[in-house]
Amino acid sequence: MTLSLVLSLLALALVRGTPILLASLGGVLSERAGIVNIALEGEMTAGAFAAALISFFTRDPWIGAIGGVAVGAAVGFVLGFAATRWRVDQIVAGMGINLICTGGAAFGLIFVFNQAGVTPQVPAINQALWPLVILGILLAAVLQWALSRTPIGLRLRACGENPHAARAAGIDPLAVRLAASAIAGALAGLGGVFLALGELNLYSDGMIAGRGFIALAAVIFGRWTPLGAAGVALIFGLLEALQFALQGNIAWLPSDFLQALPYIAALIALLGASGRYRPPAAEGKPYP
Amino acid sequence: MKRESMKALLLGTLGVVAAMSLAMLASHVSPILGFNAFFYGAFGGKQEIAETLASTTALLFPALGIAIAFRAGLFNIGAEGQLLVGGLLAGWIGTRIEVAPALAIAAIFLAGAFGGAVWGAIAGWLKAARGANEVISTLMLNFIAASLALYLVTGPLRAPDAAGPELSLLPHAYWLPTLLPQTRATIALPIALLLAFALRYVLNRTWFGYRLRAAGEAPEAARRAGISLSRVALSAMAWSGALAGMGGAALVAGELHRFNTQLSPGYGFIAIAVALVGGLEPLAICVAALAFGALESGGLALQAAAAVPKDAIHVIEGLLVFALAARRYLGARGATTQ
Repeated sequence: MTLSLVLSLLALALVRGTPILLASLGGVLSERAGIVNIALEGEMTAGAFAAALISFFTRDPWIGAIGGVAVGAAVGFVLGFAATRWRVDQIVAGMGINLICTGGAAFGLIFVFNQAGVTPQVPAINQALWPLVILGILLAAVLQWALSRTPIGLRLRACGENPHAARAAGIDPLAVRLAASAIAGALAGLGGVFLALGELNLYSDGMIAGRGFIALAAVIFGRWTPLGAAGVALIFGLLEALQFALQGNIAWLPSDFLQALPYIAALIALLGASGRYRPPAAEGKPYP
Repeated sequence: MKRESMKALLLGTLGVVAAMSLAMLASHVSPILGFNAFFYGAFGGKQEIAETLASTTALLFPALGIAIAFRAGLFNIGAEGQLLVGGLLAGWIGTRIEVAPALAIAAIFLAGAFGGAVWGAIAGWLKAARGANEVISTLMLNFIAASLALYLVTGPLRAPDAAGPELSLLPHAYWLPTLLPQTRATIALPIALLLAFALRYVLNRTWFGYRLRAAGEAPEAARRAGISLSRVALSAMAWSGALAGMGGAALVAGELHRFNTQLSPGYGFIAIAVALVGGLEPLAICVAALAFGALESGGLALQAAAAVPKDAIHVIEGLLVFALAARRYLGARGATTQ
């Protein structure tokens, strides 16, 4: 394999991995604060659709990108609000939000564009693809530092481990969880923006294709740390890139096997990484 | 069903009707005409009722399976993959055996159950032996099942006579008898209903069901009482998958009459919502499956009449699930998925 081939493979891995990375950082934040985030998939969908929609009407892709992030944050806020004020079962609420977001985007396509499946082409920010990739990696490093070394990070973790102790220390666990969930939504929304306006210039039904769930897997594999989750997300990106690179080059290997490669790798990783997962102690448990 | 859940569902339904009306108004469709189309599509005639019952059946099998896993405290989101593998094995067996039709149908269902059970048991084994998070493993197995099925139907198992990538058609004698002639409603529905009653009995009245519920509701206490959590995880996931796999077999023998990768438009995922709305109680799940079945077939009619895409029905299903999640806020408490 030549050097240029390796480099293009790594470049592709970064591009494919970044949306998963962004969403997984959101997942780490909300789960460390104590909110299980099954809704990453819906938040990415909402972010991607809103970004394409707003970019179409304003003809300004940057406003579209900001709108996508904001809508993702709004969805995260709804999950956080229901989880903190209504004490909902967070997994059930998350599944509901995923259904609402995918259905809402499908409906929005008909309602606004009068066509099913895909938006027209919209102004995009393809030139910002690489800055966004770098931003994602920097964010992972910053969040890692903030979570483990700053008072704010300590407070956030306290809410996920023992909200009663956090309360006793003068922290409002409900406010922290709500904020973490909204920021998580914003990050997942940015992942959706990356797909819709960074890589492409449209939204189409099913374009998120389970990346939100993969991000959730990255959170768990990365043991609820930003750098860990980011690393796993980029490995998923690499496996996806490998699949493109190998397709058609190895005759005896069926291409469907290559498509399943990232998932098979994840299963094998699960085999090896036994018993080393410990989720935040109060994750998923309503407070008070 | 608990009173609070009823209240939540009622509020949820009102919210759904309001949301649907708004959506229809927004797309310049009269809500009266829209609802008329919706209800006609779900219950308007023999064909429409049969469509509703067919969707009900397709959702009921995996939803019952999901309930088994959830009651054991295992968040099995892999019903879609289990259904697919079960359907694949059922469709393959159905073209391979030559026996009396009743035996063949039994073999097809058994094959479906076996395929689904194996796929579920992989996740159960990973959980039992390695402590692997079942959310990740079942999710990955969904993707792997889709790739495996695609590979087999485009390659080694592809029917020589088929136009597309699919297995051969089942012999006509092996097709499931219909409940209403010339429709998609088959005897798979009464089979699923019987299973629901059986499951209710097993969960509430047997040692297996007791251990399963204990492991789900108070794992630490169950472990100290000598219940093997690993064994529960393995068997719950296997049975959960078996029911989803039977759903695949029912779709193969009752609707498509062959296996192809278009077997399920996401029944395994919608079934999660069905199981949750049914409060993980087998008989309530039957009612929830009927409601969701009506949503699916009514949604298709709405799509035809008012150009509201069928996927938009997911919004309604999501609102119902969300309302149910919030039922604690509406004054209830009780067993949840946690």
